Amino acid sequence: MNLILIPIVLPIAAALALLLICEKTKYIKELLAAGAAIVSLLAAANIFLQPPADLTLRWFGSAAFTLHADNLSAFLLLAVSLFSAAISVYSFSNPAKGPAKWFFFNLLMTQGFAAGAALADNMVAMLFFWEGLLVFLYTFIALSQNNHAARRTAMKAFLINGVTDLCLLVGITITAYIAGTASMSEIARNKLTLEYGWAVFAYVLLMIGAVSKAGAFPFHTWIPDAATDSSATFMAYVPAAIDKLLGIYFLARASVYLFALNQTMSLVLMTLGAVTILVAVMMAFVQKDYKRLLSYHAVSQTGYMILGIGTLNPIGIAGGLFHMINHATYKSCLFMTSGAVERQAGTTDLSKLGGLFRAMPVTGLCFVIAAAAISGIAPLNGFFSKELVYKGALDTGYTVFFIAAEIGSFLTLASFLKLGHSVYFGDRPENLKETKEAPFSMLLPMLTLAGICLAFGFGAELPLNWLIVPSLAGMSIPNPTMSGFHLDKLYFVSVIVILAAVINHLIGLAAGGGKADKASDHIHYAPVLKETYALAERRAFDIYELGMDKAVPFVSRLLFKADRFFDWAIDALPSGVAGFLGGSVNRFHNGSYPLYMALTLIGAVVYILLAGGLK
Amino acid sequence: MDKGLLAYLLIPLLSAVIIPFAARNRPRLADILANVTLLAGLVNIAWMVLRPSVVADGFADIPGDMLFPLLLVGAIYLVALCVTFFSAWFMEEGQPNRAAYYSLILASVSAMTGVVTTTDFFTLYVFIEVLAVTSFALITTDDSRGGIEGALKYFFLTFPASALIIAGISILLIVLGDLQFETLRIFMASDVPPGPAVFAAALIMLGFLIKAGVVPFHAWTPDAYQGAYAPVSAHLAGIVTKISGVYAIVKLGTLLRFFDGRASALSEMVMFLGLLSIAVGALAALRQKDFKRMLAFSSISQVGYIVLAAGLGTPLAVIGAVFHLFNHATFKTVLFLNSASVEKSAGTTDMEKLGGLEHSMPWTSWTSVIALLSTAGVPPLSGFWSKLLIILALWEAGLRGYAGLALLFSIVTLAYFMVMQRKIFFGRKSQAAESAPEVSAPLLAPAVLMSAVIVALGLLFPYFYTYVKMVAERIIL
Amino acid sequence: MTYHNLLFTLAVLFALWAVMAKKLLTSAIMLALVSVTVSLIFFNLGAPWAGVFELSVCAGLITVLFIGAVSLIRSTEEKHPESRAPFYALPLAAAIFAIAGWFYLPAFFDELASWRRLADGSGTIGTALWDLRRPDLLGQVLMLAAGVFVIKSVFPRRTEK
Repeated sequence: MNLILIPIVLPIAAALALLLICEKTKYIKELLAAGAAIVSLLAAANIFLQPPADLTLRWFGSAAFTLHADNLSAFLLLAVSLFSAAISVYSFSNPAKGPAKWFFFNLLMTQGFAAGAALADNMVAMLFFWEGLLVFLYTFIALSQNNHAARRTAMKAFLINGVTDLCLLVGITITAYIAGTASMSEIARNKLTLEYGWAVFAYVLLMIGAVSKAGAFPFHTWIPDAATDSSATFMAYVPAAIDKLLGIYFLARASVYLFALNQTMSLVLMTLGAVTILVAVMMAFVQKDYKRLLSYHAVSQTGYMILGIGTLNPIGIAGGLFHMINHATYKSCLFMTSGAVERQAGTTDLSKLGGLFRAMPVTGLCFVIAAAAISGIAPLNGFFSKELVYKGALDTGYTVFFIAAEIGSFLTLASFLKLGHSVYFGDRPENLKETKEAPFSMLLPMLTLAGICLAFGFGAELPLNWLIVPSLAGMSIPNPTMSGFHLDKLYFVSVIVILAAVINHLIGLAAGGGKADKASDHIHYAPVLKETYALAERRAFDIYELGMDKAVPFVSRLLFKADRFFDWAIDALPSGVAGFLGGSVNRFHNGSYPLYMALTLIGAVVYILLAGGLK
Repeated sequence: MDKGLLAYLLIPLLSAVIIPFAARNRPRLADILANVTLLAGLVNIAWMVLRPSVVADGFADIPGDMLFPLLLVGAIYLVALCVTFFSAWFMEEGQPNRAAYYSLILASVSAMTGVVTTTDFFTLYVFIEVLAVTSFALITTDDSRGGIEGALKYFFLTFPASALIIAGISILLIVLGDLQFETLRIFMASDVPPGPAVFAAALIMLGFLIKAGVVPFHAWTPDAYQGAYAPVSAHLAGIVTKISGVYAIVKLGTLLRFFDGRASALSEMVMFLGLLSIAVGALAALRQKDFKRMLAFSSISQVGYIVLAAGLGTPLAVIGAVFHLFNHATFKTVLFLNSASVEKSAGTTDMEKLGGLEHSMPWTSWTSVIALLSTAGVPPLSGFWSKLLIILALWEAGLRGYAGLALLFSIVTLAYFMVMQRKIFFGRKSQAAESAPEVSAPLLAPAVLMSAVIVALGLLFPYFYTYVKMVAERIIL
Repeated sequence: MTYHNLLFTLAVLFALWAVMAKKLLTSAIMLALVSVTVSLIFFNLGAPWAGVFELSVCAGLITVLFIGAVSLIRSTEEKHPESRAPFYALPLAAAIFAIAGWFYLPAFFDELASWRRLADGSGTIGTALWDLRRPDLLGQVLMLAAGVFVIKSVFPRRTEK
């Protein structure tokens, strides 16, 4: 058996085996899930180090479904397996994850399908795995809590992703049609250009599919809702890690590997990235809930990756991919800390938390490292990837994107200052006096991920040379000159941003009367922003809610009317006609023998006349 | 007449003669004798046709002219066995004419076997008349007013048909000097102007159209089927009228070589009458209030499909016609036997008074569903394939309009059967249905057996197709 | 010639009996016997086809049909006895006709017999029935059996009432 199958088949087999285990058993499910995830991780590492031969399955003789581990796929597979292993260990003693059986089932299924999507060379096969993820996204959210809100959010996530997956489906169909093959490696040998016919349309559809998976504006709206209605574990796994990895992976594939983009499309992507950064971070800044705040950041950080890939120059793309893995690391870690706090303190409301650093020093430490990383403080990993994105953006000549990214950075740091201050520092409320540190099984993955943040920061050469450069080489992009920690003007800009954020935080604290959770109020309730925020809180900018409130009732009424009409046309009309005809036929069957005889004789006479050739 | 098949005629006749003597003091012996005779015949046919070595060689062992008769004899025995088995439990104890009833059924089986094995017009006529006489007596079995009315209508409308047939045969004798089927076939294949022979054939055809109950000569069918003793309806609708009318039409169609256009006026007319039957039968069935009467109209409509295909006469159409003839025997038997079960259990077949029988009579309900879906031509049941063949044949021959209408009325078929199923078996329980228990297992067995045949034929159609195709090729060439 | 005359006489006698019989059933049977004798005459005159048709259709089928029909209407028949007086005139008419025939018909019969030589004479009644129309014989047997069963099936109920 080819090694390449293990990361796909093993989690799925384990997930199905899980269903056989009784819900009451302790630790068997957890051990099985963690074991499967860890074995898959080892297999993924093996695949990464020694890429195995392609596995080709032929279907109907022509279409070949190939599993192909090139550098980028292997890198992605490794990342997916790593986060699965981390989350499965983390969930060992996390109670807030819904029924354990279903949680691990969804986790392993998601892992298996994500691995499949990463390894599939054929776009149709990839779409199969991609759509499989959609199913488990729904069950994951719907089963994480047993209430109406969870199911509603699950449906929202399902519908948003379903629509964009449909775009992806159409895009893939058109692309395959234009290229004459659905195999990505074959298309890459002769890249498509946007000049040709429907290519622009196809690319835009592929892009929509990719960025909505990554959770970019305006397809992000289910993520904050999921943060409140689902578990921290889910957030740490799916929106923070798997979705970002796959979305950005495919965006990179589509933008660099399959299509040769032009300047306009590059601008579109960069604008999308910048808008995502700004909108989401503005929202994140004013949040009053630990998980919700993090979820907006998950959206905002996607903007950097899209911006990086949108620059289309090697440094920017390298930055985007590097940011992808970094973001998954620290955002997963941050959501894990939120889960730990929720488990230990019982709430994630910022106004009810405070001073937990003493009670939960390890969690606090992980939070600080990850928060510093996401805020881009040197020399952590987020700093380097952001620097690369900035540099890529500057190299395109459009300074405006650089400025937008920097403003994003500023607000990110400001919001994490507020978050850290209100959760881990300041005064501890009375009811949290007894709070203890989270259990070891939760700390271990957090520490691992925080360690990776540090390692990728201090030794930034290592992941760049080992992970990113080969990935770019796999997409036949020339090796960019990337230095790790470089003291150019960007460094000073970032220092200025840090200082500005600290000053802003202090101003906010002063304005908020010393309460850390109110440190954003001076912006939240600023003259114009206040109304905007109020509208945003009422979900006035949420295309899903808008659609559900306005468009859907209208369309469904329209469809209802059309359906009534068709019903009538199908039901009433033929039955009326048939009833009329049947009735008139019936009138001839009144049981009267003379009538029958007459009918028969007339028929016979006509028959004989006609049979004789009379016409 | 093929001597190899003579036994299938003689043995039921012998049984029929023995039964009145043997069963004089022991009435149940009549049931046993009749059933054993038919079962033995059926097993014999199955052994001859379906044993693995024969199927493996593609039926090469069976002489060419025996294939088609064997298929039909098989159908006759199958339906008759179902009917006698059903009657054995259905008939009230102490009915005075029990032995005569079974004798009549066996005599009709003999006659039908004679019809399908003969190669001579006059012999055909004689057997058809025997069949008419036995059917006439069978309809009156339960002595109800409706039965006698139906019997008389049958009698007085099929009698002119017999007159037409004998007139046609006489003209044919004058023209050809012989009454062998083969003579007519050779004559039609030659270049001689066919005028009088076709006219004679048209008269014979007209007689058989009346006997088959094709619109506008169908008026006797609803009354006869509705009034007849319940199992007899199944026997009549399932096989008797098909053999005494429809079989002869198919046979004549192939003899007259409809496919090469020598008798195009007749061919067109037969096709038109077929389509008219389909339409009128289906539309009239839509508005029926009585289960058995609706089935009777449905029978008219289904006969229309066979007649339509027989009128077209291409090999594919003949395959469709033969296969539909066989299928009609299966599904219509199930439906009529189920109507008998409903009548026995709920005491009425009026659809307005029935309802919700599904709960108390699940087996009856579900076998009905299988049969009605097969009638309407829903895949993968056997009725689907035969209708598909017929419609394909029409399409291939360029008769798009006929094909479209045939398809449309197939949908109407589904519609009226859905109405029937809803009114009788689904929905809320009615007064009559409250005290309607499921009938006993022996009464269900024939319907279940036939349903199994329907499903099996549908699923194994690719194997069966080679057989039917061979039949059609051999009777045409 | 005697054979011929015997058959004619028999045919006339059966026909008279059929008309005059009290019971419809007897009439039907007598009618069948008329058909049988007529078919024998056909054979004798060298028309085996006509003979076979007559035998099959009239003697077999029609009789059975009549018997069937009679069995259905039997109960009403007995309630309304008809006036039979006119029928007694029939034998008289027949006798007058026979005497007239004695003088005129032999010439006609001779002519018919000469026609017989023109027909190619398909052999005796036995060969015609047995070699040419054997399946029909089977059909006839079946028809007779069916007739018996019809009577057995319909009569018991009629008599019960």
